[in-house]
Amino acid sequence: MNIQTINRLTPAETALVEAYTAQVGELPGDGAVIGTRDRLLDDLKKSGLPTRRVEAWHYTDLKSLLRNVPAAAPTVSVDAIAPLVGDAQLLSVLQGTASEFVAIDGVEIAPFAAALSDGSAAAGLVALDKDDAIGKINGSFVRDGYSINVPAGTSVDAPIEIQAVHGAGQVHTRFPVTFGAGSNATIIERHQSATGEAAFVSTISELVLEEGAEAVFIILQQQGADDTHLGQVRVKLGRNAKLKLFVVNVGGKLVRQELRIDVEGEGSELTLRGVNLLGQETHTDVTLVLGHNVPHTNSTETFRNVVFDRAKGVFQGMIRVAPDAQKTDAKMACNTLLLTDDGEFAVKPELEIFADDVICGHGATVADIDKNHLYYLESRGIPERKARAMLVNAFVAEIVEELEDEKLVEALEGVISAWLEKHA
Amino acid sequence: MAAVQETIDQVRQIDVDQYKYGFETVIEVDKAPKGLSEDIIRFISAKKREPEWMLEWRLDAYRRWLTMEEPTWARVAYPKIDFNDVYYYAAPKNITGPVSLDEVDPELLRTYEKLGIPLREQEILAGVQTSKVAVDAVFDSVSVVTTFKEELKKAGVIFMSISEAIREHPELIKQYLGSVVPTTDNYYATLNAAVFTDGSFVFIPKGVRCPMELSTYFRINEKNTGQFERTLIIAEEGAYVSYLEGCTAPQRDENQLHAAVVELVAMDDAEIKYSTVQNWYPGDAQGKGGIYNFVTKRGDCRGHRSKISWTQVETGSAITWKYPSCILRGDESRGEFYSIAVSNGHQQIDSGTKMIHLGKNTSSRIISKGISAGVSQNTYRGQVSINRRAENARNFTNCDSLLIGDKCGAHTVPYIEVKNSSAQVEHEATTSKISDDHKFYVMQRGIPEEEAIALIVNGFVKDVIQQLPMEFAVEAQKLIGISLEGSVG
Repeated sequence: MNIQTINRLTPAETALVEAYTAQVGELPGDGAVIGTRDRLLDDLKKSGLPTRRVEAWHYTDLKSLLRNVPAAAPTVSVDAIAPLVGDAQLLSVLQGTASEFVAIDGVEIAPFAAALSDGSAAAGLVALDKDDAIGKINGSFVRDGYSINVPAGTSVDAPIEIQAVHGAGQVHTRFPVTFGAGSNATIIERHQSATGEAAFVSTISELVLEEGAEAVFIILQQQGADDTHLGQVRVKLGRNAKLKLFVVNVGGKLVRQELRIDVEGEGSELTLRGVNLLGQETHTDVTLVLGHNVPHTNSTETFRNVVFDRAKGVFQGMIRVAPDAQKTDAKMACNTLLLTDDGEFAVKPELEIFADDVICGHGATVADIDKNHLYYLESRGIPERKARAMLVNAFVAEIVEELEDEKLVEALEGVISAWLEKHA
Repeated sequence: MAAVQETIDQVRQIDVDQYKYGFETVIEVDKAPKGLSEDIIRFISAKKREPEWMLEWRLDAYRRWLTMEEPTWARVAYPKIDFNDVYYYAAPKNITGPVSLDEVDPELLRTYEKLGIPLREQEILAGVQTSKVAVDAVFDSVSVVTTFKEELKKAGVIFMSISEAIREHPELIKQYLGSVVPTTDNYYATLNAAVFTDGSFVFIPKGVRCPMELSTYFRINEKNTGQFERTLIIAEEGAYVSYLEGCTAPQRDENQLHAAVVELVAMDDAEIKYSTVQNWYPGDAQGKGGIYNFVTKRGDCRGHRSKISWTQVETGSAITWKYPSCILRGDESRGEFYSIAVSNGHQQIDSGTKMIHLGKNTSSRIISKGISAGVSQNTYRGQVSINRRAENARNFTNCDSLLIGDKCGAHTVPYIEVKNSSAQVEHEATTSKISDDHKFYVMQRGIPEEEAIALIVNGFVKDVIQQLPMEFAVEAQKLIGISLEGSVG
């Protein structure tokens, strides 16, 4: 029964293919890059967008969910917005193109388009596996972004904010960031819609932490109510490196956030936190594939999700412990408040363990607000509506507080409160 | 690590070679020709003296099966099965219809003695009155003998082989067969529907509490035969039944195929407790031979306040592919799944459950304990689904895995889907080795390492063992011991 099915293109797939044909002449890149782009698009055309039959996309059938893709509109004009925290150093990407920027002391920064033009980016434009639709789309279309290198031993005090602002159309960005040995920096990657018109965004960040580097990386996705966001973060953690990765989703209509993390150095530590606030008709999928590939590494992953309205949320979290990765300590938790009967949430936390001397666990819960908690507040004279708001806020604030940096905590709590006020 | 290494070595030495039930019984058999075709299905149906509608049902399933593809999503690897290289029907020759125990081939009886099956009524009667067990024994493809039939009849309970039931109670079979696991369900269930040769049928009428434990023993004996049994249990309003199945097979170099279907139906206030002690031949130390166990088990809590509970102790088979599930259709119905899955040597287990919450105030509980040793792979795969209309559904899931040795794998793949905000769903899973602290604590009280590990493993699986009927809890504990011999007492 091995009938090779020929992929019949959906309107969205057709739009992607047409957008590529229309743009390919003006996309930056040397021969090698263009060759890679062609291959990736061809691959996408053959395999089509993933359906629920593809295990990694089980709850996000991209083929049927992605109804259409707007045409690329690189000339739409948008302006930079105020940074999340006052003292942040801004790197703007406006409608997919890196703007002029003020040099940051001690940090090497270059527009990603330069790496495409000189071909040095070609090797990185790969799909991680045959089901990596984001890798294929982004690799075909990526136009710009920033390559950032925090040299060894450098400490960057103020946070760096990569600010991707867009209007309607398509935006494809990439951010390779290297934290050199012993370096220390905080980077915020923000995706924001300026106009609220439907946009299609794909973005890949490639984080490399070398020996002893310590980094805080925050992804804040605040796209418009009609936007598609296909994001991917590829992480390599070196020896004794410490990464705090925060992912906050408070926007978009169709969102897939992939975290592909490889822990490759002994003694390294990953703290991964996520907050997903889902309202209206949003479909938000956070998929984590975390490989503990060497002995003596630690990680904790905590995700908090709140589902309002008719939203649908997905969390897939796979922890994979390689055969020799003894003394791995990995703990994952995914807690969801499902506040309406019209919404839904699907969780698939996976453990794949090939070493014996490990402590690995995961927990997942889905429920409404605890009646006892509500009663406790109401019995103190707080009206139900307010009591519920307080409890929801506390549920997610707990996660944000782990950032420790007061300014960042306050700023993110502000974003969350504003969202909750609008939706609750 | 020194002490641990010792344990690993001991586990490695064991046992798959010491499979206790690896004998073969030499008796004359009646076999259908090898292979699968409509003619073979007609042959099986004719042999069973089945009515025309049953044959049609089988042929329908067979035609559907031809269009289906083998599932590949489970974490099990095996060479492609040649479904035409299997005998689909093998029966001990001198058995014609139901017989009394005295007429059974003495060779067969000796087999059961070796198996330790309490077939002989007097042996059971010697025990306490309340611990009586009625047994239906299935040897290769046919049900050989069913005990205690008369006494059960007095209580109104029907307990017979499914072939008999097709002839004697066609109205019940027509109504219920395939109503929980439809013939179109999945590759192996469809295959089973086409070629199933025997199995047990249980019907507990309204308000009856089945007076004794019911039990079926399955044994594959003949070379290259597949065993395809089909079990159907119906508990009418307010009825209760506890049912146990056990399975063994001789040691062989070739892999043998087993694809069973079990269907349970529980009406209002009914309760079915289904326990399995699965100890098919797991293959030898090199991973040669062993049973391929592809089983579809599903319970339908059709009535309000009904309850279905699955308990399984899985220690055998080269490959286990099995997901006993509950459809919680009735309001306030309850599903339970308790599992111990022990894998050693080259065994591969991919097992778990599905709890589908459809009715209001339904609840489910999943306790799964996996123990992997040797170079085995042990996967828990489960699904908890809360339908949009399933108000106040409740689920608790706990899957723990224990690793013995650094060459084995333990995996957990739960799917949780919630579409109603009044649901409360909790899932937790852990994977670790036996904690050195625990072991030290026990050993420093003068208990040797072997026994210490045994104690800890027993504690690890206690929650599940407690769910087994008392008569079988002891047997199960021993089985786990044998499967892990060397590291566990």
